[in-house]
Amino acid sequence: MKLIEALEILKKATAEQRGQLKVQLVCGFTPLHLQTFLNAHLHLQFPDQKIEIETGLYGDFVGNIERLEQADADSAAAVLEWADLDPRLGIRQLGGWGPKELADILEGVSSRLERLRAGITRTEAAGKPSLALSLPTLPLPPLAITAGWQASQFELELRERLAGFGAWAVKRENVRMVSAGRLDQLSPAPDRLDVKSELLSGFPYKLSHAAILGQLLANLIRNPSPQKGLITDLDDTLWSGLLGEVGIDGISWDLDHGAQIHGLYQQLLRALAEEGVLIAATSKNDPAVVDEAFRKAGLILPRERIFPMEVHWNRKSESVTRILQAWNIGADSVVMVDDSAMELADVKRAHPQIECFQFPKDNSEAAYALLWKLRDLFGKSAVREEDKIRLETIRRAAGSAAFKPGMEAESSDSFLEQAEAELTLSFRKDPPDPRALELVNKTNQFNLNGRRYTEAAWRDYLKSPDVFLLIAAYQDKYGPLGKISVIAGRKHPATLQVDVWVMSCRAFSRRIEHRCLEQLFKKFDVQEIAFDFAVTPKNGPFRDFLCSFQDGNSRGSVSFARDLFIPKCPPLFQGVKEIGHG
Amino acid sequence: MDDLQLRLIKCFAAVFPDLSEDQIRKASPYAVTTWDSVATLNLLMVIQEEFGVEFNPEDIEHLTSYEEILDCLTAKRS
Repeated sequence: MKLIEALEILKKATAEQRGQLKVQLVCGFTPLHLQTFLNAHLHLQFPDQKIEIETGLYGDFVGNIERLEQADADSAAAVLEWADLDPRLGIRQLGGWGPKELADILEGVSSRLERLRAGITRTEAAGKPSLALSLPTLPLPPLAITAGWQASQFELELRERLAGFGAWAVKRENVRMVSAGRLDQLSPAPDRLDVKSELLSGFPYKLSHAAILGQLLANLIRNPSPQKGLITDLDDTLWSGLLGEVGIDGISWDLDHGAQIHGLYQQLLRALAEEGVLIAATSKNDPAVVDEAFRKAGLILPRERIFPMEVHWNRKSESVTRILQAWNIGADSVVMVDDSAMELADVKRAHPQIECFQFPKDNSEAAYALLWKLRDLFGKSAVREEDKIRLETIRRAAGSAAFKPGMEAESSDSFLEQAEAELTLSFRKDPPDPRALELVNKTNQFNLNGRRYTEAAWRDYLKSPDVFLLIAAYQDKYGPLGKISVIAGRKHPATLQVDVWVMSCRAFSRRIEHRCLEQLFKKFDVQEIAFDFAVTPKNGPFRDFLCSFQDGNSRGSVSFARDLFIPKCPPLFQGVKEIGHG
Repeated sequence: MDDLQLRLIKCFAAVFPDLSEDQIRKASPYAVTTWDSVATLNLLMVIQEEFGVEFNPEDIEHLTSYEEILDCLTAKRS
């Protein structure tokens, strides 16, 4: 992005803005064009928000971090440079670069990093805004005793201390850090420092570097939800070769056969599966031969990590339809990889929202770039318990007719009764459980109104003393589903107002929603619960749930009276355990 | 109006979005209340990026109006 483009984005960004996003830009230098680029990229990421960027005091990065605790911001972007850790590591101060000063610089850096740790810990404890952090991006000045091509003990010790701080910081729940590797790709090191601008105006970056840094910080602030499922082809994609033609011994995915890129692809898919991404396969092949290949060939991606496996000679678009049904997720959460452009076109025509990628089997560079693209689409900050059990849950649900929607009530009753189900309810709001917002922002089907929240808006909403939050976790004798439902709203004297209600599609057909509603009546001792309902293109299951208690079409605010709910509520068999208050 | 003037007006419009084309032609820190030191830095960076030129610190002191910037750019291009 050029500076003129950033300014033009800001010029146009006045209409149609509903909310407001306040961002604190923390840096020790004059923020100047970095502020402009960050603002423009935030406008692109949050088109319906009015962006307000506040900046702190010049030359006081550490103090600006410490003051975040009191800042009235939704998010913060902190851009640390060497000069913030010791002015002698920059070029605007003349404090000495002699051998005697180096030890003192190292000591000073350690002490400032300690202050930063303390400041970040306090903002975290105070439930303050999430922090997008960038560690120093500029080259060090020529202060170490070695020639520029020789690494100095000073520089290595300096970087060691910084790395220790970075490794500590990314473990904080409220910190996300700019990837140095991605920054190196997009903004090569020699193109970053603008000596003239730094000396003239105190702004150290070349425009291109400021633009890239602004973009990466805006990405971190937005923190997009990862995709949920990947559908892969087998021949010339998961492995090299056409199984039906070359046989099991003829397919390969290793260096010896010049097929290592397929091995790397399998390795990535296995890692994604272990992180909770759903992996399915679709292939025009003989299913018996494919089964044998998975049994005998020792693939890096094991057979049990793939579900469903659609192997036959029919159209792949039909396979994808069945896979989406088994996963019970929307096509817009799914990525497909296949070496055949024609197959991808067939799938894209039937499911336009699926993101399709052709596996470039004859171009290692492009295939490796695809691996990075997939990592970007499925990247997340942490692997949670729910991620680890997702596939098993879906496999069980698909294998068990008992949990299928629409089954006869009587047989459903008998199945649910023997399932030994237990619902664990938590009403704890503080500290915020990140899984709650994750569910709210990625659930489409059982969703009261489809409303999405930024981290800051969610935190602000929960802060209100009259707001309650219910997080429900479920398990039965077949295994745990983890935290699967979130309800939030406000308690009024005689009624309860529900603003948010989502439930994972994995938890359908277990009457969890009924039990949750029953527990809300009981817990808050109200006679009526009002729902801020809105129809969305995808929340049919929620609409069906409402309609089971109400006649006619539900839209807008909907209320349930306790004495109408109880007689219509089907038998419930889950045990209920409540943990945590506040 | 030549291409150079059109592009320069576009640069001014990005930094001073409230000015009309006529006002831009007469723009200077005295005539435009929002033309402060930060606006100067923004404007000169936008112009440097747009025209692929670099202003020296000595130039910058004199680049205090649309006319002067236009003259400087014309001189650099000739």
